[in-house]
Amino acid sequence: MTEVSFSLNGTPVHLRDVAPTRTLLDWLREERGLTGTKEGCNEGDCGACTVMVTDARGTRALNACILFLPQLQGAAVRTVEGLAAPDGTPHPVQQALVDHHGSQCGFCTPGIVVSLAVAHAAGRQDHDDVLAGNLCRCTGYAPIVRAAQAACAAPVPDWMREAPPAVGRRIFTENSSFWQPESGDELAALYDAHPGATLVAGATDAGLWVTKGLRDLAPVIFLNRVADLQRIELQGEHLRIGAGVTIAELRAALAPRFPALDELWRRYASEQVRAAATIGGNIANGSPIGDGPPVLIALGARLHLRRGDARREIALEDFFLAYRRQDRAPGEFVEAVTIPASAPNCRAYKLSKRFDQDISAVCGAFDVRLEADGRVAAVRLAYGGMAGTPRRAPAAEAALLGQPWGLPAILAARAALAHDFTPMTDLRASAAYRLTAAGNLLIRWHHDLARLPVHVRGVQA
Amino acid sequence: MPKDGIGASTKRREDLRFLTGKGRYTDDINIRGQAYAHFIRSDVAHGRIVSIDTAAAEAMPGVLRIFTAADFAGVGGLPCGWQVTDRHGKPMLEPKHPVLADGKVRHVGDPIAAVVAETYEQARDAAEAVVIEIEELPAVVDMKAALQPGSPLVHDEIGSNLCYDWGFVEENRAAVDEAFARAAHVTTLDLVNNRLVANPMEPRVAVGDFEAHNDQHTLYTTSQNPHVIRLLMGAFVLGIPEHKLRVVAPDVGGGFGSKIYHYAEEAFVTFAAKQLKRPVKWTSSRSEAFMSDAHGRDHVTRIELALDADNNFTALRCLTHANMGAYLSTFAPCIPTWLHGTLLAGNYRTPLIYTNVKAVFTNTVPVDAYRGAGRPEATFQLERVVDKAARELGVDPVELRRQNFIRPDQFPYQTPVAVVYDTGNYHATMDKLLEISDYAGFAARAAESQARGKLRGFGVAHYIEACGIAPSNLVGQLGARAGLYESATVRVNATGSITVMTGSHSHGQGHETTFAQVVAEMIGCDASQVEIVHGDTANTPMGMGTYGSRSLAVGGSALVKATNKIINKAKKIAAHLLEAAPEDIELKDGKFTVAGTDKSKSWVDITLAAYVPHNYPLAEMEPGLEETAFYDPSNFTYPSGAYGCEVEVDPETGKVTILSFTAADDFGNIVNPMIVEGQVQGGLAQGIGQALLESAAYDESGQLLTGSFMDYAMPRADDVPFFQVDHSSCTPCTHNPLGVKGCGEAGAIGSPPAVVNAVIDALHRAGMTHVTHIDMPLTPSRVWAAMNA
Ligand SMILES: Cc1cc2nc3c(=O)[nH]c(=O)nc-3n(C[C@H](O)[C@H](O)[C@H](O)COP(=O)(O)OP(=O)(O)OC[C@H]3O[C@@H](n4cnc5c(N)ncnc54)[C@H](O)[C@@H]3O)c2cc1C
Ligand code: FES
Ligand code: FES
Repeated sequence: MTEVSFSLNGTPVHLRDVAPTRTLLDWLREERGLTGTKEGCNEGDCGACTVMVTDARGTRALNACILFLPQLQGAAVRTVEGLAAPDGTPHPVQQALVDHHGSQCGFCTPGIVVSLAVAHAAGRQDHDDVLAGNLCRCTGYAPIVRAAQAACAAPVPDWMREAPPAVGRRIFTENSSFWQPESGDELAALYDAHPGATLVAGATDAGLWVTKGLRDLAPVIFLNRVADLQRIELQGEHLRIGAGVTIAELRAALAPRFPALDELWRRYASEQVRAAATIGGNIANGSPIGDGPPVLIALGARLHLRRGDARREIALEDFFLAYRRQDRAPGEFVEAVTIPASAPNCRAYKLSKRFDQDISAVCGAFDVRLEADGRVAAVRLAYGGMAGTPRRAPAAEAALLGQPWGLPAILAARAALAHDFTPMTDLRASAAYRLTAAGNLLIRWHHDLARLPVHVRGVQA
Repeated sequence: MPKDGIGASTKRREDLRFLTGKGRYTDDINIRGQAYAHFIRSDVAHGRIVSIDTAAAEAMPGVLRIFTAADFAGVGGLPCGWQVTDRHGKPMLEPKHPVLADGKVRHVGDPIAAVVAETYEQARDAAEAVVIEIEELPAVVDMKAALQPGSPLVHDEIGSNLCYDWGFVEENRAAVDEAFARAAHVTTLDLVNNRLVANPMEPRVAVGDFEAHNDQHTLYTTSQNPHVIRLLMGAFVLGIPEHKLRVVAPDVGGGFGSKIYHYAEEAFVTFAAKQLKRPVKWTSSRSEAFMSDAHGRDHVTRIELALDADNNFTALRCLTHANMGAYLSTFAPCIPTWLHGTLLAGNYRTPLIYTNVKAVFTNTVPVDAYRGAGRPEATFQLERVVDKAARELGVDPVELRRQNFIRPDQFPYQTPVAVVYDTGNYHATMDKLLEISDYAGFAARAAESQARGKLRGFGVAHYIEACGIAPSNLVGQLGARAGLYESATVRVNATGSITVMTGSHSHGQGHETTFAQVVAEMIGCDASQVEIVHGDTANTPMGMGTYGSRSLAVGGSALVKATNKIINKAKKIAAHLLEAAPEDIELKDGKFTVAGTDKSKSWVDITLAAYVPHNYPLAEMEPGLEETAFYDPSNFTYPSGAYGCEVEVDPETGKVTILSFTAADDFGNIVNPMIVEGQVQGGLAQGIGQALLESAAYDESGQLLTGSFMDYAMPRADDVPFFQVDHSSCTPCTHNPLGVKGCGEAGAIGSPPAVVNAVIDALHRAGMTHVTHIDMPLTPSRVWAAMNA
């Protein structure tokens, strides 16, 4: 059985025979006739399709174009059509957008309205961040930001507070086109039995395989209801982060412990993508330019893999074997990643064309522990965008190890990077730029730890 | 005065439907029984189509039919709406532009075949099964290479990649050269105006419908000008007379020029709907948009400015290579010529100007108008070269401009490049800019930046724009194959409400609000009594649509004319009812009064009398109260303004941060200040996008490298500052009834040079005087490279 139940603008919806990769956007527009939600790119870049989703994990703004219907099981969904009061009174952000001329052609507007309404409910004031995933070509944004500021004063309307609907447990058959396990054990058994199935967590990669790559992913195992993969636990000196933790949840949990890394997570894609994307997906996809792995490797992360009842643990860097090839057996999945609970010297820097919502050209993440005499006792330098996988820089690390911490050692490490990497040239950056920038990031790190003025925003490719 | 009349910042009536998801855009239209079209596009830039085998695909589930060029044998190609005559008196080369590629593919994205199937998925799946063999040919992407002997030819049959070699004003050529020979100083600048993608947030969509019972075609399309599409597609491509063809452009999610043109997909769905007797829908994906919407700009220019010993501009000489792409898009030829060369006087008294424009075919997406269209290119090169001259001469760039500005007492001003500016006051806008941007306090701010290790710079630019496009007889002489009037029908209903049908089209500009304000003001009624209808050829008079900042200046003038006709007739009716002479009737606050008496009739008394003519001068007048007017302007309008940009450059990384941006514009009279401000803001964001972020890049083989929002950097909220926008300077247009000039493109025209000038200023103040120019976009790596050169 392939049923999905959720609520849409307050009305219960029960769907049968749901194709696992039917997107919410297509369903809304084509089947439900709710055309207010717009398609501007179908790849998660523009936010015209933003909807509000409330489930056990709270209320989030998500891109409907890369959200599969089964991911909505047990959620309350609100689209632009469902934000005004039942009597038609506009939501405060809708009114503010009229007052401040925040809409011109109106095409980005539904997505903007939903993004702002979700942020409004959460009392957010960081409007540029909230809007990083919403493109508008008409207004120049200032009127929208003014509207967002103006709406802050208004109370959150009661119709915005809604409980997700109660849903029963579904029974899936052997030849279902998808499964949606509720626990790690269930997942382990299912995936072991169906190693050919595709795991889908936040679908921010998998969504594109469908909308752009036209791939058929069935059968699919959805991870979003596996509650025990979504925990972050303090285990002695370590944090254990479940694979299903979203980047947004991770960012919130890490902010007090690793304030210096917050900027990296803030620059990861956009509000909508961070709210969907999981750290497990970010690791498992094996992308050479993913933002998660370099910093996790620098932190000395250990990866926990599970297949059936068999579990193993490896250093994260050992997971990445070659370009898009990982040390993961059929039927094996990422259960969690553990990192030290604190690392005051760890920093991460991302270079990209634009500040928000952009893929890294180079991402560098570094950590160091010093002896009492100021010599380098342990060091981990990790890079993304420099090779076919996220990787450490052994030669540069060797140049630092045992040396007195300081600019000379850093310069030596920088020089050694040429032995570690032969990066490639592509549209984002040339090989020479990548190598130079990678080296300069080490200097920046040095200055940063010395509290010289640097901040990651200043560094863009 | 009605509360929502002219001059009021009336809130937009269209907003509520947009904000609640009730807008009705083309993709929201689904017709019962519709089939879906999917285009198979070339993935190489240049190649010969050897064979197309559709047999396997044809047999796939849901496939209705697969079309190729052969199916369009009896059909015309996509027409070009502008003929440019070159400097030798020869017409431009005008290659064929088939609906589906015929024999050759000429750019990545060129449509080769189209699959129509029951569902979109089936159409896409079947497209995978169509086997197309293409013999790849060497592609040419660079304009100068395209003009070299032996270069691959984009169109073999026309024998050259040079579309035209245009000189303007050709008769001045020798005089300009002489002036340069005599000059005390010559400033030369080589620059590129970067290729851009308009990227309205709504991708293009077309739905074709055919009703067999009355042989009626309907095309729903994302267009800025449905009547133009009906004319071009009906008359030149498909041979459908206007009375059998209806074109509807409902809510349109932005255009910026890219939705002016007649595109192949529109003709395709209209054609296929009749062939298949089914409605056919096509929705562009974003990646298709990048490789099939017309691009903008893409000029490579050398500009030279001659000055005398007193720093007066004595002559200007330019050579521009303008990329046409692989085919001539609808208005492409006029952009680098008549919309560009005629603006090279800028705000200055330069007496002699000569420009040579070589339009070149390359294996890239066709290039046509994008917000500003030709005028941003003119303004950019001019304002950059003036700035460079000031630096070379060691004079204040503001002062050099002021000294050479056309003086307020010189209007109307005949420029040496054909156009006559009716009004303007450039000294006033410049003063306003310096005042509100606190130019006087700049030095202190620069010192503060320096203390933080940052380089601060201030750049100005002054633009002139010719818009309110345009007098038909003039553009006809210049090669336009269309008139450029605008139209309005004002229908007063029996009980007094008013329906206005306009030939203009709104895709973000808020006509439904502003046009109603104009009528409300004239009649003295509440704006809520006025409904504005646009976008449907079936119920609007023939109009040329919206672009070139023309809607209020031209469409609004038609509206004023039609409303005046209404008022005149209504006064006659009132005179009859009040037994007075029509000349004695006054209309005020929606009431007709006999002057000097208290005898009056309400608006509704009159409108009812018009439709229930029991007591009516039927012998003299027809009943009813409906009037149509066409307005053809006697000149362009000439908005102008001074823009100032203050930046900080990070010397370590080359990263440019815009600290403030100020715009002091003169748009003439203003109907709705809020909407005007919105138009300027949006234009500025696009101009800043061009200056700092955006660039459509091709590799040598003609592959588009920037084919998604990931790779083509559109400004996001964080990239754009809050702007200070002022339009208190006002020299009303003298030749249209509203005295308005147009404001839609200004922001995109004036901002790129202001940004670049500011960055150069910052570097010069820091002693890096070797940097005289950086090509846009000014990415950190480009600025860093220039600083460290
Ligand atoms: C607009 C946009 C912007 C983006 N920006 C960034 C960015 O700035 N930085 C960045 O790093 N990435 C970015 N991404 C990429 C993407 O968000 C990340 O890779 C994301 O972390 C993937 O997580 P997910 O949960 O969405 O994975 P999914 O798409 O659900 O899955 C990705 C892959 O991981 C596998 N998988 C998922 N979970 C597990 C598991 N527990 N065990 C084993 N395999 C698993 C899936 O089978 C699939 O192969 C962006 C994506 C989009 C669409
Ligand atoms: S349509 Fe652009 S993000 Fe979904
Ligand atoms: S209002 Fe047109 S894209 Fe935002």
